[in-house]
Amino acid sequence: MLDLYIDAMSFHQRVLRSLGNGPVRRNLFGPVDREQLQLDYHRSLRKDLEDASRRWGFDFLTDTPLEGGDFQWEGVLGTKVPQLYRCDMPREDVLGYSGKENVSHALDQSQERTPEKCSRSLKRKQTNITDFYQAKRRVVATPRKSGQ
Amino acid sequence: MELLCLEMDTIIRARPDPNLVCDDRVLQSLLTIEERFLPQGSYFKCVQKDIQPFMRRMVATWMLEVCEEQKCEEEVFPLAMNYLDRFLAVVPTKKRNLQLLGAVCMFLASKLKETRPLTAEKLCIYTDNSIRPQELLEWELVVLGKLKWNLAAVTPNDFIEHIVRKLPLPKDKLALIRKHVQTFIALCATDYTFAMYPPSMIATGSVGAAICGLQFNSEDKSLWGDNLTDLLAKITNTEVDVLKECQEQIERVLVSSLRECRQQQQQQQQDLAGPRSKVVEEQDQSSTPTDVRDINLTEHRLAPVGGRRAAGPSRWVVPQRRRLHQRVRQ
Repeated sequence: MLDLYIDAMSFHQRVLRSLGNGPVRRNLFGPVDREQLQLDYHRSLRKDLEDASRRWGFDFLTDTPLEGGDFQWEGVLGTKVPQLYRCDMPREDVLGYSGKENVSHALDQSQERTPEKCSRSLKRKQTNITDFYQAKRRVVATPRKSGQ
Repeated sequence: MELLCLEMDTIIRARPDPNLVCDDRVLQSLLTIEERFLPQGSYFKCVQKDIQPFMRRMVATWMLEVCEEQKCEEEVFPLAMNYLDRFLAVVPTKKRNLQLLGAVCMFLASKLKETRPLTAEKLCIYTDNSIRPQELLEWELVVLGKLKWNLAAVTPNDFIEHIVRKLPLPKDKLALIRKHVQTFIALCATDYTFAMYPPSMIATGSVGAAICGLQFNSEDKSLWGDNLTDLLAKITNTEVDVLKECQEQIERVLVSSLRECRQQQQQQQQDLAGPRSKVVEEQDQSSTPTDVRDINLTEHRLAPVGGRRAAGPSRWVVPQRRRLHQRVRQ
């Protein structure tokens, strides 16, 4: 026991060994139902997209604002936004092949996140740490503006 | 050219940044935001129907083993478990998809924390090819959506330096203590009991358990028993009683885990000795341990801190998990 505690590696190994057993490469819960997995996957993506549409009052598939949303949407030329936000592929691909999804879906989500962050930082505006964050953010933003 | 090749083979790790570690504002900020990354409620009661706590432990153990074998950064495993818990807290999940979820969570955590992340192919091999890289990539997107892309979660590991720095510890023992704390944190992540605990509390409890376990012959009385707990509680603004309970729980998990290991070793010895009936095996589990010295000293050492020997939730997980393993092995 003394050895166990004094030598960090042996303690670590011991605890690890106590948890694990057999080869690391193993199937834990039997075969996966591939068809069901695909169905669940598509359903889940569709639901994420619907939630985002509802939340932002914007149809991300057709790129059009929805009626009665909380936001007023304005079109901006693609060339005026940073590369990250440019999306040259057709929107129908959002629910298609996964290689492309990464980009378009990421776009939807990153748009979603920004306002949330703003409201949060506003709430904590009085604390020291927020002041620190805000100062930092300004520093990051400045060179980008001057560079453009 | 040769130099370039050598560099390619070395994993470059960033050293802790003293500007971050020595600034109290960072600690305060971590304490402020940590709650945001906790799973929403205990999901085995409300959300999950097909999976049970012992299955979480199975997948967690497997994830820890993969991270160990792949020599991942220490925080990859706890971070992956944070993703897993947050996902399970909102999405009812089938047992047969649990390992896929575990692999996805490791995939994401590794990408966030490592310079050379785990590849999808490698992770699929670790599931014994029960999932395909394509499925892993697809479900990565699903998990990201459910986590609202909030991946930079606070983990107990984020607190280690902040806590250790404030304790009067011998310099030559710091590396040892850190490693012990990391081991305790990993152990906690495998146990569902700790899933809803704030990371700062797990970190503080783990530091306490590590220092108590190491039992320095320290002159400094602030490292003794209750003094240490008081000091630790102050650092992370935790209530003393809650912290004490957390530390006791960590120690209980360690003891039960080591005890289980001993039983498994016995089992294996019995299996080697020849086929025997289940009844005999179960009786044998209560017989003299193979390595008496280890367990006795553990319990002896942990007793003064642990005090109560209440049957924590981790206890009843043990026999169930054992039975399942046996089934899987057959």
